[in-house]
Amino acid sequence: MSDFTLALTNTAGVSSVASFWVFVASNGVKKWHDKMLKAAGVVMAVGFVALTLAIVARGFEAQRFPLANLYESLMWFAWATMGGYLALSTAYGIRQLGWLAALLAATMFLYGSWLPVSQQTITPLVPALVSYWRQIHVPPLIVSYAMFFLSGLSSLIQLYHARKFTSLGLAIGTIILACTAIGLGTFTTVDTKWLQLLFVGGSVGGTVAAWFTLKQTKGEPNTKQAETYDDVSYRAIAIGFPLLTIGIITGGLWANHAWGTYWSWDPKESMALVTWLSYAAYIHLRIHHEMNAEKLSLVSVAGLLLTLLTYLGFNSLGFGGLHSYGKFK
Amino acid sequence: MENDPSTKKIDLGYRPLFRGPMSIFASVKLTIVLLTICAATILLGAWCPQEATVGQEKVIEQFGEEMAMNLHNWGITDIFHTPFFLLLIGLLSMNMVVGSVEKVFPKLRLLKLPLQFFGPEQIAKMPYSKTFAVGASPAETLEKLQIKLQQRGFKTVVHGNQLASESGKIGRWAPTITHIGLLTLLLGVTITSWTGFSGFKPVRLGDDLTFQDSEHSKKWIGKLPTWKVHVDATRREDYESGEAKQWYSDLSVVDEKGKVLDRQQISVNTPLSYQGVDVYQSSWGLDQIVIAFNGKERTMDLRPMGKLYAAFMPLDPETIFIMSVRNQTMPMKLFAKRPEWEAPKLIAEIAQGKSVNLGSVTFKYVKAVPVTGLQYKSDPGLPITYVAFGFIMVGVMLAAIPFRHAYVSVSKDGSESGSTVTIGGRSKKAKVGFERMINKIVDSIQTELPPPVVAADPELLTTETLALAPATTIKE
Ligand code: HEM
Repeated sequence: MSDFTLALTNTAGVSSVASFWVFVASNGVKKWHDKMLKAAGVVMAVGFVALTLAIVARGFEAQRFPLANLYESLMWFAWATMGGYLALSTAYGIRQLGWLAALLAATMFLYGSWLPVSQQTITPLVPALVSYWRQIHVPPLIVSYAMFFLSGLSSLIQLYHARKFTSLGLAIGTIILACTAIGLGTFTTVDTKWLQLLFVGGSVGGTVAAWFTLKQTKGEPNTKQAETYDDVSYRAIAIGFPLLTIGIITGGLWANHAWGTYWSWDPKESMALVTWLSYAAYIHLRIHHEMNAEKLSLVSVAGLLLTLLTYLGFNSLGFGGLHSYGKFK
Repeated sequence: MENDPSTKKIDLGYRPLFRGPMSIFASVKLTIVLLTICAATILLGAWCPQEATVGQEKVIEQFGEEMAMNLHNWGITDIFHTPFFLLLIGLLSMNMVVGSVEKVFPKLRLLKLPLQFFGPEQIAKMPYSKTFAVGASPAETLEKLQIKLQQRGFKTVVHGNQLASESGKIGRWAPTITHIGLLTLLLGVTITSWTGFSGFKPVRLGDDLTFQDSEHSKKWIGKLPTWKVHVDATRREDYESGEAKQWYSDLSVVDEKGKVLDRQQISVNTPLSYQGVDVYQSSWGLDQIVIAFNGKERTMDLRPMGKLYAAFMPLDPETIFIMSVRNQTMPMKLFAKRPEWEAPKLIAEIAQGKSVNLGSVTFKYVKAVPVTGLQYKSDPGLPITYVAFGFIMVGVMLAAIPFRHAYVSVSKDGSESGSTVTIGGRSKKAKVGFERMINKIVDSIQTELPPPVVAADPELLTTETLALAPATTIKE
């Protein structure tokens, strides 16, 4: 990586951390609240622009489309998270999603920078991945994953405004547990069986518990805000779902073009389908069933966990397959 | 939203096609249950290595013998072929067909309904509405509002002092198009499973690929080709670092009598296509090495070892010869290994066709025999499947477009030239965006038109008109 690309990437990383702290601090300083929220948004925008340039520069350096390993994919994810937030906040005037989005982007930067150097450097591609199809297939998937994350995070804020604090606590705890499992799986040698158990057990247990504690409300709900975040959550899925669909289908077209079969039940492929089916269920629950908003918010949190499992869980928790970045045999 | 007049249940004059026990397949509740079970089952199949793709050894390696046996007995190691999964897919398909016909397609009739007009009380009951007063005539106000809605992509109709409008009608096509796509996909996949075949075969240089042991479903009505594919040449191209960059195979299509019908070079991502059968380059390796001792040829199997391939030949109980090759063209390296040596010792580097003398024997490296991994398939349903993919992609994209209705009713208020406006509407998707849009329209109308004149006649200055002066949100 050249110094230029590195500097841009670092700028983006630092911006995401900085904007997180400005978002957080804004909630403590009543007087400057609005100004600081605006400033945090600007810092995030700076990071977004820097990251856009960093990705483009990396592509030029590598003489190929810059999305070939986990590190690059994380950069794209952070990019989509920042861009997605900026778009949603412009359209909806929401700002509180900002600090969660910044935290998410910062986490991805950190995760990326901790990866072994072999994953970060620019490496040539194995034969199976040399194809223009890759640039059609992967970006929509990464952007859809980022949108699903934003949706889940927005649902958390919705639960907060609906004053469902017990459910909210459980949901946050579940997400932290899942992230811990992934962190341990990536950076330690803890037996993956325990981590799988931690991830799946935690996610199922946490979501079910959050579901049954939805009845508990503490304080007067801020219905207007809750509705706004509910709508944002749905909007993020409405954008993510077509992208996921396009990603899966173009993946099928590529596989058919390269291997002669558009579907082979590869683990990562299957996981994308699981995510797709789950969000299809969400859409039906929403459109046809008109399920209540708080329940839907938990479905969206469950979707976030599934997306996490699909995107990072399968590599770090010891599942194989053709799609495990860099481990292709 | 119960009394929201714009969503009153409308009789579409549609009688169910599926009656009796079939009617339960029209349930969207069932869809949600089936989608969830399906997702959980596939998740299980993604977690557990599948025998059909990676072989049983991989399952044993991951879980140990006992657990692997249990997983096998429960059907989890081949979950996508279990009767349970097939039943699930069957139920989901039925649900998709009946549900689409009963619940999704009929909704298209809603598109034909003309826009309705509503009075102020009815608009105020809609999910979102606002009432405010301006100092302009109803006609002028309505015209301005109409322009503003049109600028935002609304199709408007006006009737007296009332306006009805809609936008994003094309979004209403989303469910229909998606579901047509899903049904088409079902059709394409069914055709392929009844008439298509596929398989994989590693073929050595100079050998043939035939289709006799291909895989196809039990209920099969297809036909296998009588021609075969001959491997004329095959090679691997490397990056400078020695990693594989591309694999190539020159193939000829040969009929039963040995006549060459077609010739093509294939590589990863560029298959051979002949009479509806596609042959893909899916892997590559060196399979065997041919050597000669004092002129006597011997063929040995090679094993892949990282970037290299190696063959092992015990000479005596202590000594092993190791022959390693990187590709067809580079020289072979001959090593010997003995227990007392820390690492194997390089004895000779021999180019293809050359020999070395090892004591009393002449050792010759004759050649390395490559093997090309050929994946083949015939997929007659593919064009239909591709059409389905197109429909599904378009359908889900359309689903992101919110279908919105906005209604306005303007009436003359008590003053000389003022009016009272009620604006409202509904948008099932992107509600907040809709509210913001309406708010913006109201704000700009209020700045562009003169403010309401309320003090012209003190008699008219009732609490009611006062309350109407600033914009009031009736229901949000
Ligand atoms: C198997 C996977 C399925 C997928 C991916 C899927 C996808 C979709 C999509 C994208 C929409 C459009 C939602 C929108 O307007 O935003 C939709 C609507 C709908 N789907 Fe499905 N669907 C599936 C299966 C089914 C099945 C089996 C049924 C059978 C009952 C069904 C019934 C419906 C209904 C009733 C609607 C709403 C129509 C409306 O409100 O106008 N879906 N579906």
